[in-house]
Amino acid sequence: MPRMSDVRKVLILGSGPIVIGQACEFDYSGTQACKALMSEGLEVILVNSNPATIMTDPEISTRVYIEPLTVPFVEKIIERERPDAVIPTLGGQTALNLALQLADQGVLKRYGVRLLGADPEVIRAAEDREIFRKILDKVGARYPKSEMVRNYQQAMDVAKTLGYPLILRPNYTLGGGGGGVAYTPDEYELMITRALRESPTSEVQVEESILGYKEFELEVMRDQSGAFVIICSIENFDPCGVHTGDSITVAPQQTLTDREYQAMRDEARKIIEEVGLATGGANIQFACHPVTGERVVIEMNPRVSRSSALASKATGFPIAKIAALLAVGYQLDEIRNDITKTTPSCYEPALDYVVTKIPRFAFEKFPGSQDILTTQMKSVGEVMGIGRTFKESFMKAVSSLENRVEGLAPVTFSEKKLSMPNSQRLFHLAQAFREGWTVSQVYAVTQISPWFLEQVQQVVSHEADVIEAKELSKDFLLKTKRLGFSDATIARLRGEKVSDIRSRRHEMGLRPGYSQVDTCAGEFKSETPYFYSSYWAKPKPAAAVSKPRVAVLGSGPNRIGQGIEFDYSCVRGVKRFQLEGRHVAMINSNPETVSTDYDTSDELYFEPLTEESVIEILDRIRPEGFVAQLGGQTPINLASKLVAHGHKLMGSSLQSIDMAEDRAQFSKICNELNLKIPAIKIPANGMAGSFEEAAAIAARIKYPIICRPSYVLGGRRMEVVENEDELQSYFERHGDYISIEEPCLMDQFLEGALEVDVDLVRGVDWSVIGGIVEHIEAAGVHSGDSMGVLPPQRLKASTCELIEEISRQLANRIGTIGHLNLQLAVQNDQVFILEANPRSSRSVPFVSKATLIPMIDLGVLASLGKKASEVQPNKYQWDKIDTVSVKGVVFPFKKFPESDSILGPEMKSTGESMGRGADYAEALLKASIASHINVPPSGEVLLSLRDRDKETMLSLARSLVGMGYRLSATSGTARFLFNEGIDCVPVKKVHEGRPNCVDRIRSGQVALVINTSSGRRAVEASFDIRRSCIDFSIPCITESHAAEALLTSLKKHRSREFTVLAQEKMI
Amino acid sequence: MARGFLVLESGEIYQGLFRGGKSRAGEVVFNTSHSGYEEIATDPSYFGQIIVMTAPMQGNYGINSSVWESKRLWIEGFISLEIQDSERDSSWRRQLSEAGIPILSDLDTREIVLRLRDGGTPWGAIVHAEIEAEARETARSLIAEKKLMNLDWVHAVSRKEVEVRKGQRPEGPRIAIMDYGSKENILRELAARASEIAIFPSRTSAKTVKDWNPDGIMLTNGPGNPSDVVAAVETVRDLIGWRPIFGICMGNQILALALGAKTYKLKFGHRGSNHPVRDGLLGSVYVTSQNHGYSVDEATLPKDARVTHINLNDGSVAGFECAERRCFSVQYHPESHPGPHEAVRLFDYFTERLL
Repeated sequence: MPRMSDVRKVLILGSGPIVIGQACEFDYSGTQACKALMSEGLEVILVNSNPATIMTDPEISTRVYIEPLTVPFVEKIIERERPDAVIPTLGGQTALNLALQLADQGVLKRYGVRLLGADPEVIRAAEDREIFRKILDKVGARYPKSEMVRNYQQAMDVAKTLGYPLILRPNYTLGGGGGGVAYTPDEYELMITRALRESPTSEVQVEESILGYKEFELEVMRDQSGAFVIICSIENFDPCGVHTGDSITVAPQQTLTDREYQAMRDEARKIIEEVGLATGGANIQFACHPVTGERVVIEMNPRVSRSSALASKATGFPIAKIAALLAVGYQLDEIRNDITKTTPSCYEPALDYVVTKIPRFAFEKFPGSQDILTTQMKSVGEVMGIGRTFKESFMKAVSSLENRVEGLAPVTFSEKKLSMPNSQRLFHLAQAFREGWTVSQVYAVTQISPWFLEQVQQVVSHEADVIEAKELSKDFLLKTKRLGFSDATIARLRGEKVSDIRSRRHEMGLRPGYSQVDTCAGEFKSETPYFYSSYWAKPKPAAAVSKPRVAVLGSGPNRIGQGIEFDYSCVRGVKRFQLEGRHVAMINSNPETVSTDYDTSDELYFEPLTEESVIEILDRIRPEGFVAQLGGQTPINLASKLVAHGHKLMGSSLQSIDMAEDRAQFSKICNELNLKIPAIKIPANGMAGSFEEAAAIAARIKYPIICRPSYVLGGRRMEVVENEDELQSYFERHGDYISIEEPCLMDQFLEGALEVDVDLVRGVDWSVIGGIVEHIEAAGVHSGDSMGVLPPQRLKASTCELIEEISRQLANRIGTIGHLNLQLAVQNDQVFILEANPRSSRSVPFVSKATLIPMIDLGVLASLGKKASEVQPNKYQWDKIDTVSVKGVVFPFKKFPESDSILGPEMKSTGESMGRGADYAEALLKASIASHINVPPSGEVLLSLRDRDKETMLSLARSLVGMGYRLSATSGTARFLFNEGIDCVPVKKVHEGRPNCVDRIRSGQVALVINTSSGRRAVEASFDIRRSCIDFSIPCITESHAAEALLTSLKKHRSREFTVLAQEKMI
Repeated sequence: MARGFLVLESGEIYQGLFRGGKSRAGEVVFNTSHSGYEEIATDPSYFGQIIVMTAPMQGNYGINSSVWESKRLWIEGFISLEIQDSERDSSWRRQLSEAGIPILSDLDTREIVLRLRDGGTPWGAIVHAEIEAEARETARSLIAEKKLMNLDWVHAVSRKEVEVRKGQRPEGPRIAIMDYGSKENILRELAARASEIAIFPSRTSAKTVKDWNPDGIMLTNGPGNPSDVVAAVETVRDLIGWRPIFGICMGNQILALALGAKTYKLKFGHRGSNHPVRDGLLGSVYVTSQNHGYSVDEATLPKDARVTHINLNDGSVAGFECAERRCFSVQYHPESHPGPHEAVRLFDYFTERLL
């Protein structure tokens, strides 16, 4: 059947800001789908609130709306665009839930819009556990015994019949949100309360434990004719009990017999048919008893997912693209296989390699959180390694993690860290073998399949051979490389220098070969240049190309502080280099991204972003240059090593990178500038290798002081200290990261200053300011965590001009070619320069979308040496925009129940949203809604303010009362408000007895909390307030400027006036 | 560990580790099935062949004789990048080795596959040798010797005595099965639907079959070049039109030859569990298990034959039907093992039309 003729215009729902469990894999899926439908000649309308995505670039679809993914906004878009259909299966759980709401609230019917890919019945059948179980019964599939629990009492009864441990799965939540494993009645009581609250329908499936079962996943596709294919089978290294997003996973499955696999495949087909999924992709998770092989179904998702992105990258089969084409009426046999270009898509990929995915975690960012993995996802990113054998792929994935020590680093062994799933288990597993544990001993405590354990054991046992080998013979080194050992690991084991190992290896002619990911294990010829390295393959020279080659280095696994924004930069950069006649090779290790779509670049290398693997690629393809300024800090850190190996860095030179990154050099430059422009300063600062030195510096620069170790990403271990006690505590807690060689950096903290981000691009004889983003929170909150507004709302025009001037001068002085990101603070008309990043930044996508200045494209032109006459920089005027854009921020505190949500210099957010409006209030409101802040239209506001904020917040309190909110306040704040004649309910602080403010929050009486505090002790004392807000999804503002901003959006919200804005084309 | 080589008659040589068995020659083919090594090695259709598995890790789940597709291992050699050989479990490697089947591992199997894809199916030998020259020498004589083998490979693997089995459906039909090297699962699938099945040696005469008076006749899979299987074609020619016939794989080719059509050698064959087929009889598109080196030439089929099944990868004939003469056949394996099960409905299609 060809394409439906009555579908000419479709609306695609995106997935919104990056959160744990829903990340850039949906940018990948959505972008692919948009491109596929556009090339079919359809009109494609896209809505997504996340500006840091490629899919929201104007070139990808017919029209883009960067608007909140909620019914009122989407309804307005539907009203305006009148699409024929909505595709809800590409934007994760967010889009599916939104589609259900659009259907339930009659919006779809009202505008005559149909759902393509999955209708409400299908969504419910897969998502509603009771309906799903009936379907499983019907097809004869088994599932763990369980009960649907709707209240506390029932929950207690169910626990008695099922026995511990118990698995909790709230209905309709994302990434297993609110779920987990309860081992004891105490844990269960706590968790069931939270889980009931998390489920939008207050339903939690409580399930008998299948801990220790082997877990599998099948990625399937079906078309309207009923043709059914398995795209990929995935086997989890970690047995059941760990969320699949947090598990190490392997594709294809390795330990099932053909009979077991085919039985699973048959069951998957029956389930899909019974659920009624007419077309598209889905994944189904299974668990198998390790001994009896008994199989149970865990769950199914009728949409593209994180796993489908992984499966697409693992096999070369573009699931999202095909799903989109199926949704508009095609059949699998009518769609050509993109990779072979000759065979159809109704086949099952055959793999002649193995793929391993390893998640990346961020527990260290959330002090107090327990590093334990359960059925609720906690990882923030992932890497994928491709190798010919499991061992090779596994070791490549470990290298891709970009840990401080490359490879399977030795650890101080802890049996607990081995037996309890946690982010470090892998390393303890290796250590166990080093310390003589046997496979059966390790199996007894981990239930990890012996097959996987043996593989790891084989790798670890080879370490001893590497250590003991007198010299590295060619045969031995080849064997070692085939086992996946990186040069860095070999060097570490032998106590030698990495460069020595590498040069010896090169002298022996030992180089990796590059094999193709071709979907068919070599059966058909394929031209698609999607490569992975292997020491099993013979090295062959790269195919000659007619255009000059450029290599773009990606950003590796997502982590807090380095995420999708950099993938956006890379992808847009690749496209621009292509337009400029370059043949672009992309290098990255992150399977979730658009950059690792084989369709993005001219050549894709799915490889670790390590010195070794990048050098091998560059040596092979001999590019005109490599690009390090698009992929965040990862490629910047590699640049000098690649240059030392003889490769050419495009854009800013190493010297100019150093000038920006090296604090001593940078301070010197700023001080020079200060002589010319006295209004420029850098904060008083010093460097301390010990607490004694720090105390002396503190005496000079005065508290509060901001402290951080020398090398940080995302403000790791960065804190504001208010007095000497706190300084001492800082050194006690972070002393391991501070030394004479790597001193603690101390800066005067600019209390109450206004912070701004500036992104600019400089070419040989030109520069363009992309925009000035004014932070809404005052200095002290990490720039990644603060909301921002463009154009600035509080800065004077003269200050903006000064900032522009300073930025250009700095860029000139540093000799930037390409991107420069500056972080500045303004206090009493003085501009303080805090930091310079010689690369594209987190804020670039937001800035480009707000100002329509194609920053990445300009960066590329700069790197190619284009002159002002060619670039015409004057047409890019960031302040000539007539809309206001606000960047909202999304935090993962819910997933880390023991951690504090107070904002500080250490970045904690996972994602961002964007609100665009005619004025500040509208933009702010949209950004807040898009960041899942439940802006309450009425109700009680609880205030708990530190002394220095009381005065400033007075007018805010008055406004709230004027708007009809009730106020309550903790004792000190209440007294203050009384004295000022403002009526409020006084509430006890936690330590003053009960009922106290936390009880009040937990009992549901409070709609909004404003809680500011400073000093370690006060911060700790108010922890419970913030935690209870997180648990109950009540907005909690911890900073006074943010509170004022919220007031602005509250006013807007009450007016209920807002419009939706389509993005315009870039300049 | 011992060094070993795969030497192709066309001159290429690949070095790996010799992991057991003894040096042997055969036709070198590759299979893209991810699982099912035991089913593959016991499938008589692989008679005379050295199998290169594209999936790099083999032997992962050990062995289990209940999945065997015949009573013995038929392959002449087994090549995979890795074969499980741990203290806990080396059973598959050991089993091959004890049966004298050479195993070659620790080499880039993809390189061999690309050679087979681009250059077609050659003769070759897995040789246990220390140096290349020695390997080439041994391979030459092994291959020469192997080529002297009688060309009727079907006869070599077929039963030599008639075997009658009870079926599981007393009300079901009686089915005669012409054994060209039948996989056990064809017999299982038919027995499950029949009251009785009789399995005849490949060179059985039409008269013998007719004397047993079956309701339908199954022509099974089998190894080698269909043009070399002379007697069976004559028998089938006499049976066409007398009772409904269903052919699988070699059975498909023999049916075509009996109808006067021709077969030709595919460049490198179809061997794997992921081949898409459009089935005009069942009216659907599905993924099939395939294993064949020859195909039916569509242009030579008689006028009353209709191509009903198409291999969607290369458009080759995957099955045809002669409705008036009540016969149909498929080039692939509805009995799977290994491979997906969608096509199993063809056994119903066949048996439901017999009574």
